[in-house]
Amino acid sequence: MTDATPFAYKPGEHEAEKASNSYLMSLIAVIAGLPLPIINLIATFIFFMGNRKGTYFVRWHCTQALLSQFSLLAINTVGFWWTVSILFRDGQVSNQYIAYMMTVLGFNLVEFVATIYTAIQTRKGKHIVWWFYGDLTDVLCRK
Amino acid sequence: MKLFLQLIFIIVSFLGIWLGLSRIDWMTTFQVEKASNDIEEKLGDLYWDILKNVNDEIKDKELVSPLDSLLTRICQRNDIDREKIKLHLVDKDEVNAFALPDYHMVVYSGLIQECENEAELCGIIAHELAHLEKGHIMQKLVKEVGLSVLLSMATNTGNPEIIKQAIKVLTSSAYDRKLELAADLTGAEYLINSGIDPEAFATFMFRMSAQEKGLPDQLFWVSSHPGSEERTQAILDYSKDREVKKEMILDSLQWVSLQEKLLKD
Repeated sequence: MTDATPFAYKPGEHEAEKASNSYLMSLIAVIAGLPLPIINLIATFIFFMGNRKGTYFVRWHCTQALLSQFSLLAINTVGFWWTVSILFRDGQVSNQYIAYMMTVLGFNLVEFVATIYTAIQTRKGKHIVWWFYGDLTDVLCRK
Repeated sequence: MKLFLQLIFIIVSFLGIWLGLSRIDWMTTFQVEKASNDIEEKLGDLYWDILKNVNDEIKDKELVSPLDSLLTRICQRNDIDREKIKLHLVDKDEVNAFALPDYHMVVYSGLIQECENEAELCGIIAHELAHLEKGHIMQKLVKEVGLSVLLSMATNTGNPEIIKQAIKVLTSSAYDRKLELAADLTGAEYLINSGIDPEAFATFMFRMSAQEKGLPDQLFWVSSHPGSEERTQAILDYSKDREVKKEMILDSLQWVSLQEKLLKD
């Protein structure tokens, strides 16, 4: 799912730190214990905006971190409002709901582990490319 | 093209895992219904215990059985299990009736005295029964009291002051309009099926809302059920084309005797 591939140049210490921080931003809601799925995306987006004029290595990883949040936002939002409808409207807990929440939890866990791994490796200056998101980032992020 | 195929693969994987997991009976595995019923049962007992401690429950069979007959008729004609409903008649002047978790239904003697006939009382019973059958009680509690407070109440770790506030939510505050309207119309359906004209219930609500302006403190049931005029109209519209084969449940002597006895007590 993630590959360490050679980058166009060897990133400096400062670049590696910033690139690594972009992944940590996407974990902010987990650290704060907030259930709102949008928080992660907003934090990553703010960090992305702050670094859009940064070096290629930093921009590339900020973009990959941001893109990975979009798909999670979609599935987490559905899960969040489904839960709200059960608690506050006339929704019912069902096998479909429990299965959905388990699937969402699984995808979030995979993303969480991948994010931490990538943050650690990027801090060491390694270029970690995620499956799908890495290719998409290559298309969107210009040198 | 490669990116598009990768995206499709992610979506298909997500849907595949979700649908695959949906085939497992998690509801039974996690005993979801049992856990939810247990919480409701504990909350119902807790609510009723607190109410019982500050009010006198009327146990006199001559007073309770007519009320029981009305409820039984509505249940029988609507395929509702009568046994699950715990009916309580409470000696209190307030014009009020309400439903509590775990199928407790509380009717105040003041309400019976205010009704002019059995059909009016049946209207209120049917309305509260509809709240019970549609699961409105727990919905309202979760919305207004919060799930964590309810769980702490059910596990006897709740703050007494919060519990007091939670009691008020069910006894003297309104459900939202959508739930009230749903209970009105379901209640009207129960009445029609039971051979009782819903117009009597509509009349009661209209009369109470007119009186409420002068006596706001006593008429709890109406003040906690706002928009009575609109709702009266909705009930009348719902039942206007329905043919009701009116059948009395109590004879006129039983009804008069019930009201007289409550007045003496």
